[in-house]
Amino acid sequence: MAGAAPRVDCLAGFRCSTGGLAAGRPCVLALGAEVFLSTGSELVYVYDREARRPRAVYEFPGQVWHLELLTPRRALCVLCARKGVYCAPLDTPSRSVSQANGASKDDAPPSGVIPVGPDACILPDAALCAFTLLDNMLVTVAQGPATWKIQLFKRPCLGQDLRPAAQIGEVVFPTGAPLAGGPEEPPAPHFFPVLCYVSPPNSRAPHSRLQGPGGFTLQGVLFGLLFGADAALLESPVVLCGFPDGQLCCVVIKTLVNSWAAPGDPRALVRILHHLEEPIVFIGALRTEPWAPEAVGQELPGKDTHADCLVALGHHGRTLAIKAIEDEVGNLVPELREYRLPGPMLCAACGGGGRIYHSTPWDLCVVDLAQGIAPEGAMQPGLPPILCPAGLSICSVVALSVSPGIAKEDTELLVLSARGRLMACNLALDPTAACPARMTAAQAGRKIKDLLSGIGSISERVFSLKKAVDQRNQALMCLHEALDVSCALLSHQSSSPSRCSITTTWSRQLCNELMATCQLVNRGTHSLGPGWAWCIQVVAYARAFELDAAGTTTTYTVPVQQLAPGAQREVTLSLGFGEDGVPELPVTISCALFYSLREVMGGAFTPLGATEDPLCQALPLDLLPTRDGICLPLGMHTVGLLQCLRFPGLAVPGTQAARLTMLPTDPVDTFLRACHQQGSVLVGPATLRAKYLSPSVASIQVSAELLRAALDDACTGVPLCCATLWWLLAENAAVDVLRARALSSVQGVTPDGVDILLTVHEASRSLSSCSGVQQVVHQV
Amino acid sequence: TMSQTPLDSPSPRASCLDLWREKNDLLVRQAKVTQDSGLLLRQQHLAQDALQGFRELLHSLRGLPAAISALPLELTVICNFITLKVSHTQGFTEDQAQDIQQGLERVLEAQEQLGPRLECGLRELWDSVLHISSLLPELLPALHHLAGLQAALWLSTDRLGDLALLLQSLNGSQSGASEDLLLLLKTWSPPVEESDAPLTLQDARGLRDVLLTASALCQGLQELITGTLPRALSSLQEAASGLCSRPVLVQVYTALGTCLRKMGNPQRALLYLVAALKGGSVWGPPLLEASRLYRQLGDTAAELESLELLVDALSVTQNSETPQLLIEVELLLPQPNPDSPLYCGTQSQAKHLLASRCLQTGRAEDAAEHYLDLLALLLDGLEPRFSPLPCPPGPCMPEVFLEAAAALIQANRAQDALTVCEELLIRTSSLLPKMPWSWEDARNGAKEPINCPLWVSATYLLQGQAWVKMGDQKEAVSEFSRCLELLFRATPEDREQGAASNSDQRCRPDVALQQLRLAALISRGLVWVASGQDTKALQDFLLSVQICPGNRDASFHLLQTLRRLDRRNEATAFWWRLEAQTELPPEDATWSLPLYLETCLSWIHPLDQETLLEEFRTSLLETSDL
Repeated sequence: MAGAAPRVDCLAGFRCSTGGLAAGRPCVLALGAEVFLSTGSELVYVYDREARRPRAVYEFPGQVWHLELLTPRRALCVLCARKGVYCAPLDTPSRSVSQANGASKDDAPPSGVIPVGPDACILPDAALCAFTLLDNMLVTVAQGPATWKIQLFKRPCLGQDLRPAAQIGEVVFPTGAPLAGGPEEPPAPHFFPVLCYVSPPNSRAPHSRLQGPGGFTLQGVLFGLLFGADAALLESPVVLCGFPDGQLCCVVIKTLVNSWAAPGDPRALVRILHHLEEPIVFIGALRTEPWAPEAVGQELPGKDTHADCLVALGHHGRTLAIKAIEDEVGNLVPELREYRLPGPMLCAACGGGGRIYHSTPWDLCVVDLAQGIAPEGAMQPGLPPILCPAGLSICSVVALSVSPGIAKEDTELLVLSARGRLMACNLALDPTAACPARMTAAQAGRKIKDLLSGIGSISERVFSLKKAVDQRNQALMCLHEALDVSCALLSHQSSSPSRCSITTTWSRQLCNELMATCQLVNRGTHSLGPGWAWCIQVVAYARAFELDAAGTTTTYTVPVQQLAPGAQREVTLSLGFGEDGVPELPVTISCALFYSLREVMGGAFTPLGATEDPLCQALPLDLLPTRDGICLPLGMHTVGLLQCLRFPGLAVPGTQAARLTMLPTDPVDTFLRACHQQGSVLVGPATLRAKYLSPSVASIQVSAELLRAALDDACTGVPLCCATLWWLLAENAAVDVLRARALSSVQGVTPDGVDILLTVHEASRSLSSCSGVQQVVHQV
Repeated sequence: TMSQTPLDSPSPRASCLDLWREKNDLLVRQAKVTQDSGLLLRQQHLAQDALQGFRELLHSLRGLPAAISALPLELTVICNFITLKVSHTQGFTEDQAQDIQQGLERVLEAQEQLGPRLECGLRELWDSVLHISSLLPELLPALHHLAGLQAALWLSTDRLGDLALLLQSLNGSQSGASEDLLLLLKTWSPPVEESDAPLTLQDARGLRDVLLTASALCQGLQELITGTLPRALSSLQEAASGLCSRPVLVQVYTALGTCLRKMGNPQRALLYLVAALKGGSVWGPPLLEASRLYRQLGDTAAELESLELLVDALSVTQNSETPQLLIEVELLLPQPNPDSPLYCGTQSQAKHLLASRCLQTGRAEDAAEHYLDLLALLLDGLEPRFSPLPCPPGPCMPEVFLEAAAALIQANRAQDALTVCEELLIRTSSLLPKMPWSWEDARNGAKEPINCPLWVSATYLLQGQAWVKMGDQKEAVSEFSRCLELLFRATPEDREQGAASNSDQRCRPDVALQQLRLAALISRGLVWVASGQDTKALQDFLLSVQICPGNRDASFHLLQTLRRLDRRNEATAFWWRLEAQTELPPEDATWSLPLYLETCLSWIHPLDQETLLEEFRTSLLETSDL
C-alpha cells in the first residue's frame, strides 16, 4: 500500500447547501464511466466521466437519503426523506442534458432537470430510514416508537402499472438502550441504520445484480459460523443491519415471512452479532488472505475468492472485524477483534486487498487488515493486533466509492468533498511504478496534469484549514472585547459603558395590560456582538407579607445580536402576572448582561470546513464547560403602585376613541368568545365589593417645611400641593399631563381596577404650631 | 375556494368553528370516497393527505383555549384522526394514547379542573372526565366515541382490567358490579349523535359492535387455549352472532371447530369447518383444523387430503384487499401465536407437516415425494414466502434434510437419499468441529446449536442405511463406522443437566445421542450378520446392550447372535435377564425422538420377536426337560 500520494483529479463541483454536504446524506455510486451522485438535496446527478459533465439530473420530491441502481441499470431507486422509496427509469444517453461546456465547475443545477413525480413512489412510508436492493427483493428499515421494523418487499417491475411493492416478510424488534453519549448530548437523531446484504458463497441465485456498495459474498466458513446452519443450508442471503444504538444484527432473509402468516420470535429472526456501543456508520466485507491460496491442491483455484472478513465501523472510530480462524484444537471459531481508529467517521468503503478507506473531517485514511497475515506464524492467519491508518491527504470526504483503477493493481476512489467537489483519486499500489525514470512528452503532460490536480486538492485542504484559523481568530477577538466590556462594567459602576433604563406604560392594545419597557444603551467603545445576552429578571413581591409565599420570578433572556456603540435596544415586557392579568405589585426588575463562552468558542472548535456539521460537534465540544459564561449586573428597578396608576380623566380624548374603532376580526372574535365563556363563571367578587364595602381612606401627614425643603429645586413657583403630587407620580407615564394642568387632586384607577383618589392639601394643626400637608388617599 | 369564504361572506355568523367543522366534514367525505377508489397506491396517498388535513385541523382547534362550545368538534376531529391513522397503519401505537390523553386534558381544561392532575394516567383522566361530563350533555356523544376508541386501544393492548372499569363508568354502574366484558359492552349504549353533529368516519355504535365481536373472539380464543371449553364455546358463538366480515367469520368458525373437536363433538365441528370453507377466501386455518380433526378420528386419508389442500391454499398469495378506512375486528385481534387454533403457518410448514405425517403413517412413497418438493421449495425459492420452520416446535433445516433422506430410504430410493445426505454434508462441513468435541464446548458460547455433531453423525448413519439398501455392505460398514467414531467423540452431558430439562417435550440431545449410537451399532451389527461375520456382529450387539441396557431390540439381536454362534449358556443367562425385564413396566418414553431417528430405529426392529422368544422358550424347556 505505502503512503503513495494519490493522483487526484477534480471532476466537477456541485452545489451544496449551507453547512456543507455532511449535513445531509450524500452518496456516490460509480458504474463504468458514469457516476451517480446525490449531494443530500433533492437532486440526483448522473455524471459522465468521458464527457466530463453531468449527463442528466433527476429531481425527487424530497431530500435524497439513499441511492441504489436497479439492474441491469434500468432505474434509479431512491429513498426520499420522510416520503418513501421512489423508482425512476434511467433515460437513454440520447436525452442527455444539453449544456454549455464550461458549466461543470460550480454550476447551478442544469436547466434540463428531469422531475420525478409522486407517481414514481413504489413504497410510500414516512418512517423509512434505510433500504437496500437484493436480487429481486427490497429490504427496508423503518423506525417505530422504540422499535425497528425490517420489511421485505417483492421488487416491483418497472413498466407495469405501479402498485405498492408487495410485502413478503417483516419483523419488528425493540431498539437497544440509547447510547450514553457525551454530557447532555441528546441521543443523536441524525444517525440512520446502515444495511448490507451478504450472499452465501455458492449461491445458485443468478448474480444479475452488480455488487453494489451494500452487497458482499462471504466465504463459506465465516458465513456458516456467523449465521448458522439454517442459513447455510438454505443458502439464503442475509441482511446485516447496523443501528444507531450500536447493535449489529443479522436477518436470514429466507426466514422472514409476513407476521400475519406465521409470526416468529423476533429474537430468533434477528440475531445480534455484536454491540459496538457507538452508532454504526458502515458495514463491509474484505478479502484479507491472498487471492490464490497457497494450498492449491485443496480447493479449486479461484473458487474461494470471497470475502473472509466482516467489518463494522462506529461513528467515533471503533472498528469491529470478524474472521474465521482455527483455535488451538483446530476448531473453526469466529475471531472478533475491536480496533480504535481516529473518528469521527464521515464515510467508509472497503477496497481490494483487505483495505478499508475511511474519511474523517481531517483526512481520508486507509487501513490494511491483511497486513498482519503473511509474516506472522503461518498457522494463525488471524487479524492484525493493531491497525495503522495511513493518511491520503484529502480532507472532509463525505461520500466515497471504490472501484478498480485502470491499471490492474490500482484502486480508484471517487470521493465527494464536503464542499461538493467530485474527485477521482487514483491510488497506485507501487509508488515507484508510477514514476518512470524517463518521461515521454505524453507522460510529462500527464504528470503535469496530476500535479495540477494535486494542487487542486491541496488548495481544498488549505481552504478548510484557513477557515478554521479564521474562526479561531474571530473567537479570540470576541473574547478580548468581552473582557474589556466586563472590566469596564465591574470597575466603575457610575459611568458604566452600558446602561439599562426601565419605564412602565399601560398598553392599550393588549387588554389594558401593564407593560414595562426596558431600554439597553451601549455607551461603551465596543459593540456587543454574538454571545451576549440581555437577561431581565422580574420578581413580583405582591404576597410577600404572606409568610410562605415567595415572589414569582420570571427571567427573560434576549440575545443581543449586534449593538453598536451608541445604539440602543428596547424590550417591552408584560407585567401582568397574577390571575386575570393584574400585576402583583411591587415588582422588581433587574437587568444583567450574560456572555456565553460556549456560543462564541463553539464555532471555533467545530472541525474544518463544516461549521454546521452535525456529525462533528460531538467530540471537541466536550472540552468546554457546559454552561459557563460571565454575568454582569446592570441595575435594578422597582415598579410600585404609584407608577402604575392610570388616570382616565387625564387621557387625551383621541386615544379612547381609537380603541372603539378596532373591530375584532373573526378568529379573535372566536377566541374572545371562548375566553369569555370560560371566565363568565367567575364574575362577582369585584362588583360585590364595590357594592357593599364602604370606601377606605388612608392619610399621611408630613411636615410642609420638610417637603418644601426636599422639593425645593423641583417646584419653584408652583403650589406645594401640586409639586408634591408631581413628585409622587414622577415615574408615572401621566406625569407630563399632570404637570401641564397643575392639579392638587387626581382621580385614577389602580391596576386591579379599583378607583382611587389622590388628594394633597395643606392643613394646619393646632397641636403643632407649624402647618402640614395632608395627603388623602381616597379609595372609592 | 374554501379559504375565500370568510372574506366573501358578509355574515359575521360564519365563525371559525363553522369553517373548521366544514373542513372536518369535507375530509370525512373525501376519505369515504377514497375507500372506493380501486388503486391501492392512490388510496394510500389520499389517506396520507387526509391524515395531514386532520392533523392541521386539530392543530388549529388546539390554538383556542379549551371551551365547551368548541370541544364537541375538537373531540370528533380527534376521533376521526385516530380512526384514519389506525386503519392506515393497521394498528394502534403509543401515539393514539397520547391523542386521547390530550383530548381528555382539554375537557378538564375547559372545566378548569386541570390542576396537578397532569401526571396521572389515562385511567384516572377518564374517571375525572366522565365525572365532569355528566353535567355537560352536549359533550357526551363525542366523549363516548372517544371512549370507544380508548376501549379499542386497550383491547388491542390487552389491558382488559382498565377496559372493564372504563365501560363500567360509561354505563354509570357501580364499580365492581360486573367484570364480564361482553355484558358490559352489550349494555353500553353510546348516545345517538344529533343530526347536525360533525361527520364521523365511524360512529360510536359501529365501533361498539366491532368491539363486541372482537372481544368475544379474543375471549373465546383465550378460553380455548386455557381449556375452559364450555365458556369458549359460548364466547365464540357470541362472536359468530355479531357483526363479522367474511375473513373474521372464517376465523370464528375455525375456532368453533377446534372447540367442538376438543369437546368431543367431531361432527358438529366438521359442520362449522365446512361453513368456514364455504364462507371466505381464507382457507388455511380451517383446512389445518380439518386435518387435526380427521387425525383425531383416525381417518388418515382424509387427514392427508386436507393437508394437501392446505399446501395448495397457502401457495396462493393473498391479494391484499383494499383496507377499509375504519377500525375493524381484525385490527383488534392479537397476532396468532403457534398455540392459537388460527395459526396455520406458511406453505413450507404445511408441506413439512404433510410429508412428516405421510412418513409417520407409513406412506413412504408419498412422503419421499413431498420431502423432495419441500426441499425444492426451500432451496430454489428466492422468496421467503417459503419460510422454513423458525418457530421452536418445528425442526430446523438439517433435520428436514435428514427426514427427507430417511423417507427416501424408506421408499427404496437409496440413491436419492445419498444425494440429499451429500448435499447436507457439503453445506454443513464448515461447521463441523475437526477435533474431539464435548458438550461443554457447545454450552460455552459456541455459536452453533448443540446438535451439529448429531446431525452429521445421523447423516453418516443414513448414508450407511442407503448403502445397505443398495447392497453395498463395505460402504455401509464404513459409513456406520464413521458415524460411531464421531458419536463416541462426543462426551455426553452430565445426567443432572439432562434431568432438569426432562419436562421438555422436545428431544434431549443426550437421549438422541444414546439412541443414535444404538442405531448405528445395531445397523453395523446387522451388516456383519448379513455378511456372515457373526463375531464382529456380536461385539457390536454387546456394546449396544451396554449402552442401552433395557433396550429390547438390542437384546433380541444379541440373543439371536449368541444362539447362532451356539453360545448356549450365555444365551440362556441373557434370556433369563430379558424375561425378568419384560415383567417390568416398559421404560417411560416421555421424550420424543426426532422423526428421522424414529424411522432409523424402525429399520433395525427385529421382525419376528415373538417367534424367536417362543422358540427359545421351548428349546430351553426342552433342555431343562432333558
